[in-house]
Amino acid sequence: MMHTPLRLPRILGPLLLLTAVLLSSGAHADDKPPVDKLVVLPGDFTLDGSRSFQRLLPGLVTDGHFAGTPKGKLQWSSSNPAVVTIGDGTARPTGDGQATITVRSEKLAATARVTVVNFGRPVVWDFRIHVQSVLTKSGCNSGACHGALAGKNGFKLSLRGYDPVADVRTITRQNRGRRVIPNDPGRSLLLTKPTGAVPHKGGVRFEEGSPEYRVVSEWIAAGHPPPKDDGPRIKRLEILPANAVLKPGTNQQLVVRAHFTDGHAEDVTRWAKFTSNNTTVADVDDVGNVSVTGHGETAVVAWYLSRNVVAALSVPYGNDVANGVFDKSPRNNFIDGLVLDKLKGLRLPPSPRTGDAEFLRRATLDTLGVLPTPVEARAFLNDTSPDRRARLVEKLLARPEYIDYWTHKWSDLLLVTSSKLKPPSMKSYSKWIRDHVAANTPWDEFARDLVTARGTTHTNGAANFFVLHRDPADMAETVSMAFLGMSIQCAKCHDHPLEKWTNDEFYGMANLFSRVRFKIAPEGGDGNQSIFTTTSGELIQPRTGKPQLPRPLDGKTIGFEEPGDRRDHLANWLVAPGNPYFTRAIVNRIWANFLGTGIVEKVDDLRLTNPPSNEQLLARLSGFLVENRYDLKSLIRLIMNSQTYQRSSRVTAGNRADLRFYARYYPRRLKAEVLLDAISSATGQPTTFKGYPAGTRSLQLPDSNIASRFLSTFGRPDRVITCECERSDEPSMVQVLHILNGDTLNNKLQSKTNRIGKWLAAGLPDYRIVESIYLASLSRYPTNREMSETLKIFAETPADQKRALIEDVFWSVISSREFLFNH
Amino acid sequence: MLNITGQGTAHTCDGVSRRDFLQVGTLGAAGVSLAELERARAEGKTRPEADRRSVIMIFNLGAPSQFETFDPKPEAPSEIRGPFKPIPVAGGGFSISEILPRHAEHGDKFSVVRSCYHTAAAVHDTGHQMMQTGRLFTGGVNTPHAGCVASYLQGRRTDLPPHVVLPEPMGSTGGNLPHGQDAGFLGKAHDPFVLMADPSKENFRVPDLLPPKSIGEARLDRRKRLRQIVDSTVKDFEGSENAKLLDSSFQAAFRIITSEKARAAFDLSQESKKTRDRYGMNRFGQCCLMARRLVEAGVRCVTVNTFLTVFNEITWDIHGTKPFTSIEGMRDIVAPMYDQAYSALLEDLTQRGLLEDTLVCNLSEFGRTPRVNPAGGRDHWPQCWSVYFAGGGVQGGRVIGKSDPIGAYPAEHPVAPNNAVATIFKSLGFDLEEELPGPSGRPFPLVDQGTEAINELF
Repeated sequence: MMHTPLRLPRILGPLLLLTAVLLSSGAHADDKPPVDKLVVLPGDFTLDGSRSFQRLLPGLVTDGHFAGTPKGKLQWSSSNPAVVTIGDGTARPTGDGQATITVRSEKLAATARVTVVNFGRPVVWDFRIHVQSVLTKSGCNSGACHGALAGKNGFKLSLRGYDPVADVRTITRQNRGRRVIPNDPGRSLLLTKPTGAVPHKGGVRFEEGSPEYRVVSEWIAAGHPPPKDDGPRIKRLEILPANAVLKPGTNQQLVVRAHFTDGHAEDVTRWAKFTSNNTTVADVDDVGNVSVTGHGETAVVAWYLSRNVVAALSVPYGNDVANGVFDKSPRNNFIDGLVLDKLKGLRLPPSPRTGDAEFLRRATLDTLGVLPTPVEARAFLNDTSPDRRARLVEKLLARPEYIDYWTHKWSDLLLVTSSKLKPPSMKSYSKWIRDHVAANTPWDEFARDLVTARGTTHTNGAANFFVLHRDPADMAETVSMAFLGMSIQCAKCHDHPLEKWTNDEFYGMANLFSRVRFKIAPEGGDGNQSIFTTTSGELIQPRTGKPQLPRPLDGKTIGFEEPGDRRDHLANWLVAPGNPYFTRAIVNRIWANFLGTGIVEKVDDLRLTNPPSNEQLLARLSGFLVENRYDLKSLIRLIMNSQTYQRSSRVTAGNRADLRFYARYYPRRLKAEVLLDAISSATGQPTTFKGYPAGTRSLQLPDSNIASRFLSTFGRPDRVITCECERSDEPSMVQVLHILNGDTLNNKLQSKTNRIGKWLAAGLPDYRIVESIYLASLSRYPTNREMSETLKIFAETPADQKRALIEDVFWSVISSREFLFNH
Repeated sequence: MLNITGQGTAHTCDGVSRRDFLQVGTLGAAGVSLAELERARAEGKTRPEADRRSVIMIFNLGAPSQFETFDPKPEAPSEIRGPFKPIPVAGGGFSISEILPRHAEHGDKFSVVRSCYHTAAAVHDTGHQMMQTGRLFTGGVNTPHAGCVASYLQGRRTDLPPHVVLPEPMGSTGGNLPHGQDAGFLGKAHDPFVLMADPSKENFRVPDLLPPKSIGEARLDRRKRLRQIVDSTVKDFEGSENAKLLDSSFQAAFRIITSEKARAAFDLSQESKKTRDRYGMNRFGQCCLMARRLVEAGVRCVTVNTFLTVFNEITWDIHGTKPFTSIEGMRDIVAPMYDQAYSALLEDLTQRGLLEDTLVCNLSEFGRTPRVNPAGGRDHWPQCWSVYFAGGGVQGGRVIGKSDPIGAYPAEHPVAPNNAVATIFKSLGFDLEEELPGPSGRPFPLVDQGTEAINELF
């Protein structure tokens, strides 16, 4: 399961219940210290064999959370030293049986139950589990060393040990057997090199007599047995604590346990590799010791035998905020409660509700990609009914511009461009998307239709998806990126280092597309192609030289001879409500459209090792979308009606540092097409695009391959790579120069047919002109100060320069941050 | 927090200079006072002595083969040494490949490091990160380009931006990772100014550098004044770095467009045809010429990207297969253009007496495989390659470090990308112990502890 690591460790279950009881009885109020409990992690474990061991973590539980290591001296004891002893915080077996380990601080105590089995059984190190772990942790098979594609100095291992069978062969057979000498293991190159006994370009990797040395030498002495086909494999990883709330300046040791298919588990902390996703919050060293450096949240990832597990660490901000601030904050739907829970945990006070003018502008831009007109702005600002915002949301969802905006968004995702497709195909592809958006087709149907498309590219636009990605491997990557928000590219050459996906799973996925064929359509011409599937053809997995059984990532395998279109099998897996990736990916994309920052950042980077900033929120929203049968409008409605979406973008004391948890609305620059359309709409002077009817807005262009200096300067994507990262919303000086001096805005302002001409012709008084400029651009009335200071300049200006002055006022409003940003 | 200064430009943490504050009259609101500035001066945080130095970083995107450039291996077997012969450089300090004859004429001015290596994945993007910022991006921390560090530590020297990238930023090189060509955690206010145009094109001008004719000085002033009225009412943006950046970009843009001298620095038509031809009438050649003009006019760091992507053009990325070129393509297409422009730049800087205070460093993301592949090219090889330096205190005619007999690994004095970046800092007179404000305000060392410059160059 994708999110197992985010659950609390089992041992905390009863404690949480206990805390819950205390909370409900009122024992924990704002002014009282939370209840402390001592725990030992893991609380119940088995030591299998005489060489096994388990490091134990003492911890305080505060307010239901693991809250760090207790201060002061701790006393450890074993109830039966003939079964288990404890020293340096590590339990070691002494004989089969059961025992209890107790840790005591000054006031508290906690216990862990230990079972010891197979104490008398001789130890045999397993290559796949033990030796490979040593080679990996010591860096031997890293990309910089023998794991490089070409190996190093004639010795090549699989990158991070994804191919143990090949590695054993390399180690035992090549180099005339000098790498392993069973009757005198100490002379094996596999030991003399990494210990530096003979010159080694990679330096000393481990010491003679170290645990690493012992594992390798004993495996060699045992006759270097290859991994057995039926030998134990890794089943899952566990990290302790999986969740913790820590304080800056403290340290926390982590423990990683690996559970194997034969039922045994081992403490593999020593062999795991650790990284922190956000080192400004906490850093982690080689042995899993975390040092907390700042505030916020981070995930510490532990990697072991191609598996990853994540510990979620939270470090609340130092704000002194009463619980009432969060508890009394208004809520409109479940989003608000879940966001406020997170803010409360991190002590980030929410900003207040935003004003009506900002809400109107924000909602219209986020849903339709256009500015409210002055008429709409006046009407909304005069509306005093309590449900005016909810009614606005309904109106927006029903407007035709909704179709333009979302068609454009999915056209980015699906790469609609005439630079890769002939114009008729490009248009048919765009129309296919547009028709579905107009019909509000559920997202699962949309995806199914696309990935199973057949027919000619001129009549079924979806077929172009396959024209753009002819190579099955490319198709596997693209489907995963577009609909799972996940890059599986790494697994094309080796097991994915940051995800669970293996090289075999990649080729299983890609082989689902190996029977897609293309031919020139009978009614051919102008790039019309026909997409169909055949009943034969396999993609070869290069590592094995054989085809991989077709399988959608972690879905069900199908036989090579299974009849039917393999893509149907893919689609069934893809859109099944039980597929967490599919629903989460689209929820996250929609959320990011409205809140500016994904619950998982970036939206194209969903993976186990990049956890969401609010797991409960993402899970609930995903459940909501499934319940509502993938109706995107229902999800959008829910988001827009939340208090979270309607929060002010203004910083409130204590929430300036927040960029991920939605304590406030994050201002962002309008995207290229929306900005250009906004300038056209404010000035009343449309942009013309060659080959398109007058009045076509840039969001309505089906194609990204249309020359526009403005659009490319402001970061329009080329639609070449399936990734939202292709678009840039970052301001730059080049953009500023274009606003200042470029011909886009200046020409629109000078045009004789724009709003200014109409106002002057109608004889509007100066103050009405100023007011209209603000309403058309910012959807608000000017403030008294803005009005009076602007009118002062009007008074200073000779009549023959009035038109120029109005242009300059307009320019100043459009070049302001308030205009260029959605806020 | 007050950070630094060059000639009277103190920078606050959002990169808006003291002069901007004085101009717009919000000095008090920003919490920076003249007294604080004076105190910083007294404490020696301003360093005029380091202010003379500039750097031109020529980034050889695509990664040239060390064998066909600065580390020929005439003694190696033919499948390793490749088709070309070595030639001695002026001054006789060392030999380079015969496909760079004009470089050879200036071998007394530059020194070569033949033992550069890195240990990250062999994709272009990682090398770009390390070579421009000194570090690989990890843990969500994007470290700043060396030129952006200069921008942060010293601010601008004239009305021109402190760091300029020519002609455009690096585009796609396959890894989809950031290239390390911006200010990273220092904040976008220290991002470089990018030209976004090809100066070799006829009628080249910097896009939008001049206002339309109808907007004279008076109207420009009025627009500035009016914009102040709108923008000063909105406080919503203080929490948005992008919004603050936009504002400082406006200040910087107003500065350039109102300064005759600043605009002239971008005007290549002020150069003679002879000079322009000497650099070569191609994109890279004219960018080198513009780099010289910009440095002359006070820009602290100019980054010239030899190429912008490995996909749509013939570059140093000589895999031999489509869409890449081969060793022969390198000789016929890439090397001549490169050789001409670089030699012109060194000559020009020398004649103008600028070389002494201008470090010219030619960097790349990795080297190429020792063995020529079946397609007649060489593939990615981060284990060993060559970079070279001239000017800015660097002595010419030297070879630092050594590769093994087949150019596969450093044999002596291995040099990592962080040492190359430390060398830039040393030339610019920065104290390597200096700390930058890192992510979340955490102090972040200029270079990791113990990282040394390539001191043998100086």
